[in-house]
Amino acid sequence: MEIMEQAHPVCRGAGAVLNLQPSSSISIAYHTHFGPHDDLILLEVDEKLLPDFFHQRVSLRGERSEDAVLCTQSKTYSIKFVGTSNSVFLIPPPDNSILCENSEDCNGKDNHKAIVSVIKVAPGNMELVEVAPRLDKLKLLLSEDPYSSREASEFEDLEEMDKSITKRMYSWDDLVDEVQASDNELRSGLQAISAVEIDGYWRIVDEKYMSTILIMLLHNSVLNDWSLDALNEDEVVSMLVSDGFPLKLSHHCLHVFGSKVEEGAGGSCLWRLDERRVCVHFAREILVEGKRKMDNFMEEWKQKVPKGMHPDFEMLEGEVLKEKFGVESWVHAFSVSSLPSTPAERFSILFRERPKWEQKDLLPYIRDLNVPGLSLEGLLLKYTRRTQPTLDAEPVFSAR
Amino acid sequence: MQIQIKCSCGEGSCPEWAIIEVQGVVEVQPSFQDRLQNLEIGQLCRPSSQENYTFTIGYHELTGSKVALKKPMLVLKKVKCMDIDQSSDNQSPGTELEVVGIIRHRILFKTRPKALISKPQPVVKDRASPAAASSSVQT
Repeated sequence: MEIMEQAHPVCRGAGAVLNLQPSSSISIAYHTHFGPHDDLILLEVDEKLLPDFFHQRVSLRGERSEDAVLCTQSKTYSIKFVGTSNSVFLIPPPDNSILCENSEDCNGKDNHKAIVSVIKVAPGNMELVEVAPRLDKLKLLLSEDPYSSREASEFEDLEEMDKSITKRMYSWDDLVDEVQASDNELRSGLQAISAVEIDGYWRIVDEKYMSTILIMLLHNSVLNDWSLDALNEDEVVSMLVSDGFPLKLSHHCLHVFGSKVEEGAGGSCLWRLDERRVCVHFAREILVEGKRKMDNFMEEWKQKVPKGMHPDFEMLEGEVLKEKFGVESWVHAFSVSSLPSTPAERFSILFRERPKWEQKDLLPYIRDLNVPGLSLEGLLLKYTRRTQPTLDAEPVFSAR
Repeated sequence: MQIQIKCSCGEGSCPEWAIIEVQGVVEVQPSFQDRLQNLEIGQLCRPSSQENYTFTIGYHELTGSKVALKKPMLVLKKVKCMDIDQSSDNQSPGTELEVVGIIRHRILFKTRPKALISKPQPVVKDRASPAAASSSVQT
């Protein structure tokens, strides 16, 4: 207290340090509010991310039990603390109202002596490391309660009752709270698992139910002589609705199995069914009950797909695996979309499925792995052992 | 859970903070341990027009320079917010982070201190300042 009365130092801040004039000096002191100030955090940020911070497009996401990630609109970053053994004296700007509850502290008029105050000694700072979005949880959450035919048919009369017995459903805001991914990554994640927003909740649709709609759509196109390359959205959808399918799901079917080829003038669009997606769907349906002999499977597959489509085993990469037992070949479902997206877990499951992989078989199961800063070659080096018996032989990958 | 990072200052007017960084730890004499507030740490001096600086702490003089950070550093402040009208189920009082400043430069003293035995200490002469109670200790 004595000190305060004796001297009326001009409290100056960071600027006085940064703009210290040549041949002058300044006194550096502990601030009136010097302390640990754990609520002040230093975050190292790439220059190009600064606008996102200044325009408030950044948030931290994660449950209490998870390590928080930082999300911009399009990317996800993990946050890492980097400690230092140096003493980092942190100097705020002058009259920092955030720190001085009463700015009287800093208002000495007497220009007797210039003092710059240190508010805290920072033990280190936070750094950002770009990471892949953590989307496995998204699939898990939406699988709790897939939309099924039961819900579609009961919807009207049992709406109230249904709500009370349904498991948890997730709106966009719920997903943002639960899933550690940026908005853009979350949106493409939803698209990748063919989720659809129904009555404000994001849902995946039971595969059997999707199949029923698709079969009805194919059936209608035969009856009406529609070309699968130029389906009129309005006609297709209204027909499906009259068959008893909800409007939203009828549109969804086109999105899942087709792509828009032409924006119609009167608001109606033309869609083309995607041969690969339709064929893969029927292959999965056959193999849902278990493994099959190759010949047997191919025969049934050819019968199931719509006329004009040509199923080819190559279409099934990343979906179906072929194994040789003696002279016989067997196939079974093994879908890349059912595998975890963290590389360590992914490779562990892959090598449990098959101890040795040829490159052409392995690639479809790892191509989608997204590790910022690590290429596919880098991933293979890190998680596999590569052997090549002879120079011109196909390389074989096994667990490290 | 989502914590929005706020920023009320905007791009052009984000206040700049500064860092003075020295190796090791500045130890305060035990008698001052409990009342650091307003206690002088040392004198920062810029002898010439170059970006070289000296920092005199007690009997020690450090020599360093002003360097730009490779990447800028944001100063974030945790703010407890009590949203009463937004009664969010059972969540404890929400926390927000706010950008309160940016750091682009630090004055870095990375050399060992030089002892100033022959010279009188400038800090002692100045009776108005709090006692020269600091000395530097290197790791």
